[in-house]
Amino acid sequence: MKKAVVYLNQFFGQIGGEEVADHAPEIREEKVGASMLYDQMLDADVTHTVICGDNFMGSNTEEAVEKIIGFLKDVEFDIFFAGPAFQAGRYGMACGQIGKAVKEEFDVPVISSMNIENPGVEVFKKHIYIFPGGHSAAKMRDDVKKMTDFGNKILNGEKLLPAEEEGYYIRGIRHQYFLEDETPAYERAIDMLLKKINGEEFKSELPIPELDLVDIAPAIEDLSETEIALVTSGGIVPVDNPDKIQSASATRWGKYDISGMDKLENRESNAFKTIHAGYDPAAADADPNVVVPVDAMRKYEKEGKIGKLHDYFYSTVGTGTTQAEAARMGKEIVQELQDAKVQAVILTST
Amino acid sequence: MKLELGNFYVKDIEFGDETTYNDGVLTINKEEALEVVFKDKHITEADLRIVKPGDMVRLVPVKEAIEPRFRVGGGPVFPGVTGKLEQAGDGETRCLKDMSVLVVGKHWGGFQDGLIDMGGEGAKYTYFSSLKNVVLVADTDEEFEKREQQKKNHALRWAGMRLAEYLGEAVKDLEPEEKDTYELEPLTKRSKDVSELPNVAIVMQPQSQMEEKGYNDLNYGWDTNRMLPTFMHPNEILDGAMISGSFMPCSSKWATYDFQNFPLIKRLYEEHGKTINFVGVIMSNLNVALEQKERSALFVAQMAKSLGVDAAIVTEEGYGNPDADYIGCIVALEDAGVKTVGVSNEATGRDGGSQPLVTLDPKADALVSTGNVSELIKLPPMDEVIGELEALARDGLSGGWEDDEILGSSVKEDGSIIMENNAMFCGDQIAGWSPKTMKEY
Amino acid sequence: MVKEIERAGFPVVHMANLIPVAKTVGANRMVPTISIPYPLGDPSTSKEEQWDLRYHRVGVALDALTTEIDEQRVFDVEM
Repeated sequence: MKKAVVYLNQFFGQIGGEEVADHAPEIREEKVGASMLYDQMLDADVTHTVICGDNFMGSNTEEAVEKIIGFLKDVEFDIFFAGPAFQAGRYGMACGQIGKAVKEEFDVPVISSMNIENPGVEVFKKHIYIFPGGHSAAKMRDDVKKMTDFGNKILNGEKLLPAEEEGYYIRGIRHQYFLEDETPAYERAIDMLLKKINGEEFKSELPIPELDLVDIAPAIEDLSETEIALVTSGGIVPVDNPDKIQSASATRWGKYDISGMDKLENRESNAFKTIHAGYDPAAADADPNVVVPVDAMRKYEKEGKIGKLHDYFYSTVGTGTTQAEAARMGKEIVQELQDAKVQAVILTST
Repeated sequence: MKLELGNFYVKDIEFGDETTYNDGVLTINKEEALEVVFKDKHITEADLRIVKPGDMVRLVPVKEAIEPRFRVGGGPVFPGVTGKLEQAGDGETRCLKDMSVLVVGKHWGGFQDGLIDMGGEGAKYTYFSSLKNVVLVADTDEEFEKREQQKKNHALRWAGMRLAEYLGEAVKDLEPEEKDTYELEPLTKRSKDVSELPNVAIVMQPQSQMEEKGYNDLNYGWDTNRMLPTFMHPNEILDGAMISGSFMPCSSKWATYDFQNFPLIKRLYEEHGKTINFVGVIMSNLNVALEQKERSALFVAQMAKSLGVDAAIVTEEGYGNPDADYIGCIVALEDAGVKTVGVSNEATGRDGGSQPLVTLDPKADALVSTGNVSELIKLPPMDEVIGELEALARDGLSGGWEDDEILGSSVKEDGSIIMENNAMFCGDQIAGWSPKTMKEY
Repeated sequence: MVKEIERAGFPVVHMANLIPVAKTVGANRMVPTISIPYPLGDPSTSKEEQWDLRYHRVGVALDALTTEIDEQRVFDVEM
């Protein structure tokens, strides 16, 4: 029989109300409060209930998550549920925080439920399955049913349908889908075109998602005291590609020593080349500095415009590489930059 | 301009003493056909095979697909490429339907080459598994690119075209089983009824990224990288004016067969005079530098405005940096008051979580998505492989790899494969056939 | 990658040809390059011209690092 763990806040975990919202996280090897309902509806046993006060999770998120992950390391479970959180903002955020962490750490399906107004939806819908939920606990039964119906599908190995059919909030995960009626693209295009021309309603197959920008980093005050590193997605590597970085859909990056080099020597000199398969390699192979401008940076260093050109440049290949992999590689490179006390970066793309 | 395509529906293909077409059966004199292939000394070995829908055969690396045809009057099927320049799209051309000539490398593949399964689970991933195919599997002495990921595949592709013309001659003196007529009157001379319908154009963006010659799609033999957007008659595209290049990661590719049969163009023709006034084709391209992309968008929007286009279908032969041209053209057209519908694939990564197109704009509010470049596909071994299976892993095909920490090699010891849709031959069928869309999961 | 680097607090300049892509990806400081296969040096020009262009644009990028901005900005180049 498969096993499930349920996360509840202090209220649904029967600790108390608002006055105990700072209840520290705990795990109990039994069904408590709402988790009994899950147990009834699931094709799995709810073996453990995790309970945490909404305020504790909100104010000490890192500590709470660490503690709970610690508890779960000794538990065998196949699926994880959090909530339902209805419209309770702190509870929704808490479900999202712990859900995301559990997914990352244990890679089990994680399912939650929140009302559309709950801020937790926007923040966490990409990371875990969140089903649309009611305003209040009056909808407890309905909300848990939606979650467990879907959970059962997963547990029973059934084929999962697209989000709009299963019912959870869109996560921004898109896959190709063979239409049952096999309507070819040319038919769909003409249909959309005629509707658009005639001012009729139509549905784009690719709704444009919103942009996600990052906070602007403060400017450097004194360049001449600054150590700057070069990073590239143009795939410039030593000719033997020692880190075996892939030419497309890369999951690896490398760091290459340029200390003492006035410029990057080229492929013919058996030094550097490009392995990026998405562009014409001729220029880059002939002069890698057109992609990674070591020569220009070195000149600025000699002139004193910058303090120092970092001893390594960091490289990977951009074509086909997923955003998730690029973000991971970016984080790993960031760690290197932090350890090396680099202060600024120039990143070149092709 | 009036184009009459005379169709012969091939029901079976076999080898025999003479190359003839009789009652739906195409018989091929293999020796004679190979002589045509070997006309280019660069071809070092070659063989011909026949494969049909349902055959448990895997073809890789596939470089091109061409529909065999004969130009009545005797001119080249591909003017400016296989023979002298002449106007395409105005006359009679005979076509062998329900089949194609496929060009497969005996050994060496590249980023732009792909895979076709004629039967089994994998068949649904390309259009060519639904056709009977004459497969040219050959090797060349093009040492300079043997080990390169980017291949011009010149000898092989031109051999494929020669072979397609040779086969087309089998019907040169025969009366077609059926005729399709494509005719558009000069734009300014159309009847009032037709002129009052919404004016619709199709904007095509063929692949033209490489700066060195030999890789890009050709327009009457001219490298599409070296052209500015221009106005073409749809008949020209349907009659051999455009040939495919050798660069585009395969699932996004428009094979020469795709150009010859371009479903989006044919579908617009069907609506002409009924719900739309089909103005014609604005042939753009997909150059790499930002300024060139901007210039092309400028030309496209200006031509659309000056031709009085009310709405346009925009379609790109690519993903990645070409998305910038795609969205760029769409936005330029919308800004010029032209209602657009885009047709392209997406690249959302194996996990489905990456941004679908590299640039986005809310003005692109009507898009058709034909597939996911990055979709992971696992397929069992096939009874036979024509070409070399190892090429998928070894030669840098866009959807194959030698070594992955989690997935291992694309080609397993037992002949099963794991690959990205990227290497399915013209897999996203952007020209219009695609029965796939993209959905949220 | 550029977003992860900036998210960690490093001022970073994204040198790219496809500025519309860079903007969508979410880079804040951007400097255009001349093309995709040769961002900082056109091989059809002389070595000297290539060097001048590269030196100039990298200089613009360095100056961008020292410039406070309050929204995404593409820095202008002169050659």
